[in-house]
Amino acid sequence: MKERQLHTIFYVILVLTALLVLIPFAWMLLTALKSEGEALMVPPILFPKRPMVSNFILALEIAPFLSYLSNTVIVAILVVLGSTTVTVLASYAFAWMDFPIKNILFFMILGSMMIPQEMLIITNFMTIARLGWMNSYKALVLPYVIHAFNIFLLRQTMLQVPNDLFIASRIDGLGHFRFLRKVVLPICKSTLYTTMLLSLIWIWNTFAWPNLVTTKDSLRMISNGLSNAFTVNTGSIRYELQMSATTLVTIPLILIFIALRKHIFEGMKRGGIKG
Amino acid sequence: MVKRRDYHAYIYLLPALFLMGVFVLYPVMNTILTSFKEGYRFLTGSFLLFSFENYRMILLDKIFYRAIINTSFIAFVCVPFSMLSALVTALLLNSIKRLKGFFMTLFYLPQVTNVIAAGMVFALIFNNHFGLINMLLVKVGINPVAWISGVGIAASTELYMASYLRCLFVLFVYMMWNGLSLKVILFLGGLQNIREDYYLAARLDGTSKWKIFRKITVPLLSPTTFYVFITSVITAFKAYSQVVALFTTTYGPAGDNSKMMITVVGYIIDALGSYLSAGAVSVASAAAVLLMISIMFLTAVQFKILNRWVHYK
Repeated sequence: MKERQLHTIFYVILVLTALLVLIPFAWMLLTALKSEGEALMVPPILFPKRPMVSNFILALEIAPFLSYLSNTVIVAILVVLGSTTVTVLASYAFAWMDFPIKNILFFMILGSMMIPQEMLIITNFMTIARLGWMNSYKALVLPYVIHAFNIFLLRQTMLQVPNDLFIASRIDGLGHFRFLRKVVLPICKSTLYTTMLLSLIWIWNTFAWPNLVTTKDSLRMISNGLSNAFTVNTGSIRYELQMSATTLVTIPLILIFIALRKHIFEGMKRGGIKG
Repeated sequence: MVKRRDYHAYIYLLPALFLMGVFVLYPVMNTILTSFKEGYRFLTGSFLLFSFENYRMILLDKIFYRAIINTSFIAFVCVPFSMLSALVTALLLNSIKRLKGFFMTLFYLPQVTNVIAAGMVFALIFNNHFGLINMLLVKVGINPVAWISGVGIAASTELYMASYLRCLFVLFVYMMWNGLSLKVILFLGGLQNIREDYYLAARLDGTSKWKIFRKITVPLLSPTTFYVFITSVITAFKAYSQVVALFTTTYGPAGDNSKMMITVVGYIIDALGSYLSAGAVSVASAAAVLLMISIMFLTAVQFKILNRWVHYK
């Protein structure tokens, strides 16, 4: 077979796979734009006659959806800020400083990557309850600030910064902190964005923990709000509103990802597995 | 090396170590301890004695076995299939030049989609009346299938099994979609890490494409393959929100009260949910300890095998 024909087949398969990946997004968007009657038609129709953009506003009114969204955004910002600070400092120490029991501490961090979050949830729940932190942002944010994999990933990247730069910056009179800020961080930008996105995905998807530590609707996060408000088993579900809501939940992260995608792919490759 | 002993390091590490101690190390110890407390009461912290009672209760619980079966289905059926499709996709992506970035971005989208939201969309796609799948089936002349349905399953084992298999199928499709993204990117990274010279040398020797694939690509990609397999299985062991999104917190289709689709983590969360009743939290702890042991076992196997047969660059 000629090279060109082979490539055509490759593209056909890739396009088909891409379509399969996109179908759920398409169905979500199409349903979100249907009228109540159209969403309940048997057999269903593909395209709504008149796209009901008002569904999105209705979905916002059904549940305190804006409050779920703003809670998630607040928690996400706090987690990303906190976790990035903690991660950057820790991974710098592991990559560029020498101190007693360094290896023991690093293996501890590595080891904690093996521990399932669910193992921690039980005691963390007790800790939060005993501290009286139920229904507070502290409870939603603090356990997510420590992210062992991010520390590992960023340290791997920081190790690749050439030693000469460190010597040069020492000669120029830069201390550790300024070397970190002026030299290391700019070089590790891609991985830094990757760790931020990983934290963000984590928060955006988190379900079990906020469900445990919040009982007030005003503190609910997006996953919980979504699942509580739109999957009621009793009565009929307004599918078009459910899908408007999922569209609203889905879009922000997709936009952030598309804006950062070059860095993300680069960061994944660099931090990835080495043979 | 310019590096010298630097005690400032502890200041850099303080926040990480503090949080690690409070939210990771202490909980691990405490969960292990709690798992042995019989008749543990969460509110007062009182318990009768240390014993294996919680483990015994779990191992006698039918629902726990259901959880293990469903979790194993995700780990050992869904994961291999999604790895295979991810590998093929990555190989194709690696051999094209134009539109590569575009396809990578598309394939990554499921990864940044909220799990609950995506699960709801899939539940609707498989909806008995208003779903896309049944619409397509009817179009090609096949009777619509009640994909997620528990009608009559309480009375008949046959209907129960049929309903269960259909739910597993829905879960399988969802996991395939959900699992593709990260694996494609990881495989692609692995493929790009293989040095060009090997291919060049093989081509100069006139080696066939299939042989190049078998003798160069497969062995040199094996560390990546293995890494992807183990991390995917570990992720699968922790599956929870996917099942909740598809089948709600009753872990089954409407009409089912056997928690048909529950996973191990679902089992833990469920027990934790009734934390006020005596013993519930310690049962959850025991289940969590079992989960951690299986994950540690897998990780140990990973290191062992990686050191032995996986080819290095």
